[in-house]
Amino acid sequence: MTLRTKLTTLEKAVSPIVSGSSVAIGGSLLRRQPNAIIRQLIRNGVRDLTVMSWAGTTAIDLLAAADAIRRWEGIYVGMFNYGLAPNFRRGVESGQIEVRDFSETAMVARLRAAAQGMPFLPIKTLFGSDIAKRNPEQIKEFDCPFTGQKLQAIAAAEPDFTVIHGYIGDEYGNVQWPVVRDTDDMDQPFAAGAKRLIVTVEKIVPHEEIRKQPSLTYIPGNWVEAIVEAPYGAHPAACDTYYDEDDAHLKDYLGRSKSGADVRSYLQEYVYSSNDHDEYLAKIGGTSALKALDVARRG
Amino acid sequence: MSQYSNNELITAYLSRQILEDDLCFVGVGTNGRAFTLAVGIPLAAVRLAQMKQAPSAAVYWGNLLEPDLSSVPEHFTQDAFTQWQAAACPPDTGVKCDMLARRKFDVSFNSAAQVDRYGNMNITAIGDYENPKVRLVGCLAQPEHFAFVRRPYLVMDMDKRTFVEKVDFITSVGHLTGGTSRQEAGLAEGGPKLVVTNKAVFDFAEDTREMRLKSLHPGVVVEDVLSLMSFMPIVPETIPETEPPTEEELGFIRGEIDPNRILLKV
Repeated sequence: MTLRTKLTTLEKAVSPIVSGSSVAIGGSLLRRQPNAIIRQLIRNGVRDLTVMSWAGTTAIDLLAAADAIRRWEGIYVGMFNYGLAPNFRRGVESGQIEVRDFSETAMVARLRAAAQGMPFLPIKTLFGSDIAKRNPEQIKEFDCPFTGQKLQAIAAAEPDFTVIHGYIGDEYGNVQWPVVRDTDDMDQPFAAGAKRLIVTVEKIVPHEEIRKQPSLTYIPGNWVEAIVEAPYGAHPAACDTYYDEDDAHLKDYLGRSKSGADVRSYLQEYVYSSNDHDEYLAKIGGTSALKALDVARRG
Repeated sequence: MSQYSNNELITAYLSRQILEDDLCFVGVGTNGRAFTLAVGIPLAAVRLAQMKQAPSAAVYWGNLLEPDLSSVPEHFTQDAFTQWQAAACPPDTGVKCDMLARRKFDVSFNSAAQVDRYGNMNITAIGDYENPKVRLVGCLAQPEHFAFVRRPYLVMDMDKRTFVEKVDFITSVGHLTGGTSRQEAGLAEGGPKLVVTNKAVFDFAEDTREMRLKSLHPGVVVEDVLSLMSFMPIVPETIPETEPPTEEELGFIRGEIDPNRILLKV
């Protein structure tokens, strides 16, 4: 058996994502935001994206800072315990970003429908809410064919691309999670319903290592189009069991996000003036600064 | 009677609402005062209930089922969440959503940017939805809490901009437009149970489902409360005082639950 390698560079992996694409973005709150991929998209000058997320933070706000989002669909955008997401907020308030709000059961239904190859799944959460009233295109009432009960059909999430940051993986695209981790996310359902899935991981390990514990593979290589090694790829967000969020960097980012002009200086310093992820890591202080964010590894 | 803070009063009051075997949803995010209202007070209240009348009450926090409330993390950074010991940590948040939809939760603690006369709640946008004055965070599972949890408790500070006649966006359906409108819209019976604030406690009238003043915190008069609301709630002729925390409750809160004032900081 000869497997096809999917290991590539960040530049090559994200090159198919062009302006106008729809992109689902993994991670939740300040965890595993695929920020290395996001920075590459910004360097590429991609615009007019429709983005989908679970609880989005840095990834969504960075894209908003770069004026790359036309529409967002998801359950949350904010900066977790740092408050509201300033650039996303400005984009929505100015009318530049259109929003489609979903509650959690609604978004879960969208992801599971995509994974099952179904056009929709039903829920019974949003009767009477403005979430349903404002989105007749993706949320429709119907009667259960068995019981006659009133239900709401939620349209499947069918993004062109899905981007996720994971823990470890092999060159064939198999991605594994650690035994103990923070599971408050929807990365596996996002991956399961993806059309074109692009993954970064903290570390590429030999295929033999992955084979020893196949039950830890939450994204099988079969689902993956491209895999890239991107250490600290979620920075300035955290990767649980690897490193914590970078408090000083987040505060600097938020301090420089008070206006569109301010945040352009941030993007210039950290994104546009670094040619790739390695240069970004050097810019934020290199290995020694990053090691300070590391957390104790456990068996 | 010793002195106590408003946070201690609210914590003790909420803890007395918790029953044996209750599964309680507590949120994870925010900072400052919003953290105290959404996370700090609820965690302290459930822990106090565990130490008193409801030892088998449990919390679902983040995606942790039954995290050990006897050792709440001192710093709320990612690794503290990752390492907090708990009975279960389901593979993704969809499991929690399924539990919500199947009505496994007895209690939720909620706070919002706006709440109205009928307990509808807004955490999505202030002003016009498409061109908002303030874009807030979205929806999270707040719609599910009001749709499916048996006893949602709102925990909020009073303010004219917060207690409004009609919310700008209905994120979570409370008692909708009153009466039986909630069920007519397609939701099960339920909706918010109490609104516990820094000044008073409210419930909702059995028939009209309008917000009703239930008790006033010690030292607070009706006029204080009404001056902080943009609508007139039902004001009964006699209004009892909110029962203050006991010496025993204060001892537990200060000595064991939150000795370093992390949960009830601001």
